[in-house]
Amino acid sequence: MIEDSVLGPYQEIITARAKDKKIRGKSQDGGIVSAMLIYALEENIIDGTIVAGEGDEPWTAEPKIATTKKEILKAAGTRYTMCPNIALIKEATRSYGLEKIATIGTPCQVMGIRKMQAYPMGVRNVTDKIALSIGIYCMENFPYESLKTFICDRAGTTPAQVTKMNISKGKLFIKHTNAEEPFAIPIKETHGYEQSGCNYCLDYVAELSDFSCGSVGAKDGWSTIIKRTNKGTNLINDAIDNGILELTETNEGKFGLEMLRKLSANKKKKNQKRIDKKLDMGLKIPFTHSSKKEDVLENR
Amino acid sequence: MSETIVISPTSRQEGHAELSMEVDDEGIVTTGRYFSITPVRGIEKMVIGKRPETAPVLVQRICGVCPVTHTLSSVEAIDDSLKIDVPKAGKILREICLNAHIINSHAIHQFLIAPDFVPEAEYDNVVRNVSKIRKQAQYVEDVVGGEGIHPSDIRIGGMAHNLTKNSVNKIKTRIQGLSNLLESHVEQIAGLVEDKEFPENLGVHDKEVFATSNTYGERNNLELTKIEEILPTSWYDDDTIGERACSQIPLYNGDCVETGPRARAAKFRKFGQKGVKAQHLARAEEMINAAERILELIDKLDPSAQVMAKYTLEGTDRLGIGVIEGPRGTNVHMAKISSEGYISDYRAIVPTTWNIPTMGIATEGTHHEYAPHVIRAYDPCLSCATHMIVKDDDSKEVLKDEMIQL
Repeated sequence: MIEDSVLGPYQEIITARAKDKKIRGKSQDGGIVSAMLIYALEENIIDGTIVAGEGDEPWTAEPKIATTKKEILKAAGTRYTMCPNIALIKEATRSYGLEKIATIGTPCQVMGIRKMQAYPMGVRNVTDKIALSIGIYCMENFPYESLKTFICDRAGTTPAQVTKMNISKGKLFIKHTNAEEPFAIPIKETHGYEQSGCNYCLDYVAELSDFSCGSVGAKDGWSTIIKRTNKGTNLINDAIDNGILELTETNEGKFGLEMLRKLSANKKKKNQKRIDKKLDMGLKIPFTHSSKKEDVLENR
Repeated sequence: MSETIVISPTSRQEGHAELSMEVDDEGIVTTGRYFSITPVRGIEKMVIGKRPETAPVLVQRICGVCPVTHTLSSVEAIDDSLKIDVPKAGKILREICLNAHIINSHAIHQFLIAPDFVPEAEYDNVVRNVSKIRKQAQYVEDVVGGEGIHPSDIRIGGMAHNLTKNSVNKIKTRIQGLSNLLESHVEQIAGLVEDKEFPENLGVHDKEVFATSNTYGERNNLELTKIEEILPTSWYDDDTIGERACSQIPLYNGDCVETGPRARAAKFRKFGQKGVKAQHLARAEEMINAAERILELIDKLDPSAQVMAKYTLEGTDRLGIGVIEGPRGTNVHMAKISSEGYISDYRAIVPTTWNIPTMGIATEGTHHEYAPHVIRAYDPCLSCATHMIVKDDDSKEVLKDEMIQL
């Protein structure tokens, strides 16, 4: 295990994508999460998962239980808004009768799951049924009203007409049916619209997950996977051996891993300052003051 | 020459109680008095003035052994007060949850009585089986009730969630998979109980049995006018005991009764035996009865059906009755909901309260050494049954001697 305060503990970093074109066609980047969930389901490693499905309005997200390939694919792709997946975890073990649940979450959700496993208060006979924790990279997340502001006020369209949203190269792209080219909003201009908790988060790459993945550090259509725990590492290796994922060379350079490290370090530095400020004011926040840390970039 | 023998507290039961026996020269009990010394808990007073939804959540904490029974009695009483018609699937789920709880609770009792019946060579095996049985029963309580100990999904109007095809299959597989173990375990317990050398007629009494249903609870089989509650001072012929006893004495048809597995078996399963061995036997056999009932009900459940009725919380101060056949007997909760939608009255007569006066009488006629066996055969759970008096701190004068049944 490599101990790294910027990227968290990991065993190996690779660049990969789902081999199945159908999965890639529906997914955000490399289709890693969808492909791995379907693989784990078919191999009986998990018996279900909680996905961020589509809510009542277009581009809202709502936690849903998925126990089939079809249900997993239906929820593929990123919705840049909050989705309380963990809220459904108890119910998943109860009326849905799941016993090997895969969870997918942003870094804060992975932290929640790990805390739940360490202190199972009010979740009796729940945490022993978590079979896998997949993390996704996250700089910040937006309430749905913020997303609507981007779509309606900035891009001048409606959520129903948006076909894809993605963040890359420092911009949020909104592709919609009224224009050929996607509308781009520089990420800098989205600040202030994120949920406030994101300003105090020291985790960019879901450091506590079994494995985490995201587009940063990989070329278009591919994903960077950080293999972390033995469970996560073995599962990814098996998926590669069985032809579920295909590999490409990992770019160590400026637009590759260097970029991933830079974004992670920037998030940590920026938010540590805010944490320090709060602590200096005597406010309570579950993070440590930088002066009390050996390594300022550590997520604690 | 008569002598008084006191066992205080009686052991291997839930809560605290005392057994006072007058014995003759041969040590035979001539008068047995069993009474609760568990202090007041006050839960029924706490729910008054609260919203109805609060009641099941609070009263399920009356007892850590029987939370499912109290939750169900509470929602049934409030459903009745508000005249809510619970959908069929909701009723099925409630009954499944209760029967799983019966298996679980009876298994715990077998663990408690194991030192009395199980030889050392079989002890480990019996206790392990108890754990295995409880694990499956608790799984069903978890899945159906939302939470194994304090079920969160049993709600006024029905249930919070229906099951899915997946969980229906899991419950079926688990209970079917349990049946072999359950049968051999029950056979083993029954054999050990039969082999135990007890005096003839141990625990046999002439009081009536009291039960309302085979597997769930039926308010229509209970005549409220026949229920009478008296203070312990007018029940026990010894004043010092009457004053110390913490429970009211409920009578049905003017006399004390026996409730619990043997009462249900006698009324609904053609079970004719009486006494300590019969109680253990009926309790063990009821585990199989409950497992069969779960399998029967789960096949009738439609996982896509509605499990919650639509209702409004405005009541009419109508007295609602919730009757549930808990592991230890008939649990009766009574609730009134005011027109503003708050609880205006709440009472409960819990299973062990019914049995308390009978248990002392049942020790009569045999040697006092066997009395603890008689008490344990009722699986008493005393934390629920208490009354309260108000005394002047200086003069010690009783200012108010009223019953609050807790």
